[in-house]
Amino acid sequence: MIKWWPLYGLRRKLTEQKKYISPVKLRNATTKIFHRSLFIYILDAGSSNALNFEINALESPQYNIHRFGIYFTDSPRHADVLLILGRPAKAMLEPLKETISQFPEPFYIITIDDFPDHPGLMDYPELPNHVAALTGVPSPSQILGLLLDISKTKRR
Amino acid sequence: MKILIGIISTSKGDKLYVLDDGQEMLINDDGKNQKDIYGNYSFLKKHSFKINDYPVTGPGVFRFRYGPVTSGIREAGVFQLYTYGEKILRATIDLSWKYREMAGTMQMTSPEAGLLMAERVCSNFAMSHSVAFSQSVETALEIKTSLLTKNWRILLLEAERIYNHLYVIYKLAAAAAQKVLAAHLSALFEEALRLNEQLTGSRYLMGINSIGRLNNNPSGPAVQKAVDGYKNLANTFTRLYEHGLANYNFLDRLHTSGTLTPDMAESMGLTGPSLRACGIKDGLNTTTSHLISLPVITQSGGDALARMEIRAGEIVNSCQYLIDHLRTSDSWIDNEETQIRKDKTGGTGYSVVNSPSGALGYYLNVKNGNVQDVNPFTPSYIGMHAVSHALEGAIFTDFPFIFDSFGIHFTDASC
Repeated sequence: MIKWWPLYGLRRKLTEQKKYISPVKLRNATTKIFHRSLFIYILDAGSSNALNFEINALESPQYNIHRFGIYFTDSPRHADVLLILGRPAKAMLEPLKETISQFPEPFYIITIDDFPDHPGLMDYPELPNHVAALTGVPSPSQILGLLLDISKTKRR
Repeated sequence: MKILIGIISTSKGDKLYVLDDGQEMLINDDGKNQKDIYGNYSFLKKHSFKINDYPVTGPGVFRFRYGPVTSGIREAGVFQLYTYGEKILRATIDLSWKYREMAGTMQMTSPEAGLLMAERVCSNFAMSHSVAFSQSVETALEIKTSLLTKNWRILLLEAERIYNHLYVIYKLAAAAAQKVLAAHLSALFEEALRLNEQLTGSRYLMGINSIGRLNNNPSGPAVQKAVDGYKNLANTFTRLYEHGLANYNFLDRLHTSGTLTPDMAESMGLTGPSLRACGIKDGLNTTTSHLISLPVITQSGGDALARMEIRAGEIVNSCQYLIDHLRTSDSWIDNEETQIRKDKTGGTGYSVVNSPSGALGYYLNVKNGNVQDVNPFTPSYIGMHAVSHALEGAIFTDFPFIFDSFGIHFTDASC
């Protein structure tokens, strides 16, 4: 027999109330228009997959990013921020440039280089509105802190 | 049962990397009858980045490209789907978009530097890559590791299995629009990553394993706290999963999706949950036999549902395994010390581990203290061939169930 989900779902409160702090400061000041509405498009350029997993973890109820108005979107044309995971593999340079060309203004770019010492990857091409460059594998809390900095939304 | 997982080119001719009931062995490739013995011999010999690259033509048939930038599959990879409409006639998979020259950059480095690279081939299989690589170096240099190190490696491999399996089931639930189940599984996935961090300081178990030893043995209150964590995780998952299985909408999406027959699975050289879902044991559980062998779960369906069932059972088993052994880990006595032969600076080594998605092996040479001829063999490369065949005849809406149920990754396949 089918069991009713809503009761199960409502029993536990999973969302955490924490301070989310970005590991880096924004390179440039950002606009206020994304306050409580920030849409992110993810592009995996050459990450080792830890970042893909961290983005999935960021979507978990513990972080509940929707309460801040932060959403992941399926199209660059609907997005405000491009989050580039990893330094690009050679083949991914052109798709990366093509994706950037599809963004509506204003938009921002964040890069996360999870393996800065890796010699087999390319350097980033010239990135417009590149507001933050992270290295290593930041935790979901840190990524959320950075997104909140961009949207200028309160932390709790 | 013998399973071919890779072919190695050496100066003395090609060698077949074979698993015989979970034990790795090398066989000289005499070129005779190998295609008849091993169904995957041809594609492993070719080792092309374009999988199943045979275009389909016919009335109304067109090619639809999916990737490398899509939000359905976030990883950079391309599927060329041949179709005349709803049905997928053939799926060619192109791995080259995520090619990062990982094996190449491991050449001529110190074993420690190579290990750092191995961990980053596919970070969600970091422990599996790390253990297979370090064990290969240890064999080559005749380093005898301590019992404590061996034990901890096994436990950490189980920790890796738990979060990877949770991720796969979460993806399947999300693809079937099971929002509540997916949200709860996603919360458990995050909990599993936090337990990893509690035990080792890294959410992906990176940086703890080293050549011949662990950089630090988890101990003290963190371990006992992790025991409680895994207990909660197993209990919550069991209740949640039972609740989820009561939903026919969910089961119907998985049942008969991406079905592989036992013959197909065996001839492709599949291992891990994908093979066990066809009712065949791969013997990989024996790699942990010096602690206690893990129980083996099999299913007979061969479809996405059977693969999910295997993973669900393994989550509970691995949690129990960790609970039992972590509890007593403080009393483990290291009565076998690590022995390093300082005069030994070269040799050949190979090793295989039971990764979350199947057999993951390394073959390498060490010369004058540097690693050479590094050959990683990943479950994802063989798994991509299986996905490509499983997609044939499926409809588009089955795509995520088929791909996600194999638990494979482009970054792992294209190394």
